[in-house]
Amino acid sequence: MAVAGAAPGRTDGVVARRLIGLLVVGGAVALALGVYGKAHDPTLEQPYSLFFTGTIQLKVWFATAALGLAIVQVLLGLRLFDKIAVPRRAPGWLGDAHRLVGTLAFLLTLPVAYQCLWALGFQSTDTRVLVHSLLGCAFYGVFTVKVLAVRVDGLPGATLPLVGGLVFATLVGLWLTSALWFLTSRPPGIPAF
Amino acid sequence: MFRRLVNIVEVLALVVVACVVVLLFANEPDSGSTAPTTPGAQVFAANCARCHGADGGGGTGPQVAGGAATERFPDAEDEVAFVIKGSGAMPSFGGQLSPAQIRQVVEYTRTL
Repeated sequence: MAVAGAAPGRTDGVVARRLIGLLVVGGAVALALGVYGKAHDPTLEQPYSLFFTGTIQLKVWFATAALGLAIVQVLLGLRLFDKIAVPRRAPGWLGDAHRLVGTLAFLLTLPVAYQCLWALGFQSTDTRVLVHSLLGCAFYGVFTVKVLAVRVDGLPGATLPLVGGLVFATLVGLWLTSALWFLTSRPPGIPAF
Repeated sequence: MFRRLVNIVEVLALVVVACVVVLLFANEPDSGSTAPTTPGAQVFAANCARCHGADGGGGTGPQVAGGAATERFPDAEDEVAFVIKGSGAMPSFGGQLSPAQIRQVVEYTRTL
């Protein structure tokens, strides 16, 4: 991908450095979360529940809402990149709606992640828990890359869809290894709120 | 107008992230005030509390405090067998804890 006004060889170097910079920052965020989760003594407390019956229920439904918003955001992103044609004429506010929905989804993940990190930490007691811990760290690393990549010029065209897809995939993985596990390990019936 | 709203929400998100980071480091519990003292309490804190809650009040796992353990397992030996074998979301602790530790933690849950 060429940067306007620059020689191709130099441009490739600039792009590579920008991509590496993004990966370093995202990796540092993920690593920092993992180190904190491992080094911090878990408090095992459930500090907030709002109108839910407990913190765990709050986390399950916040994560589920975040996943729902993330699905909407992916659909909006697909329309932005003309991968789907609904609506036929993309409204001018589509990009802003994509940003807003993504930001709201991210905000919903924060109380979930806070309780995970502060009260439970990075755990590896079984495969599900280990995968969840790794994905939790990776999610915020990839999310950081996504947020920065939007604001960095001259990146290859596939960067944003690729990183956005990774953010969505890690969120799905997080949900599968936590909320879905919680909901399916309950007795059958109305899910616990 | 809509873009302005989105910008405000993004700034708000940044503020919330900053608050979360500060809370992660500032909101430390009182050290030592809730340290488990008995062997059963120590085993519980290390192996059970993350699912059943620090006070046994429940979390991802069901409540065991307030007589919930004795209500579900009137015979302590049944609870010991359950902890050893596990069931569903409850992992098996037979290979992780000694028989003495399992008995200690079962006795502990029955006192909560």
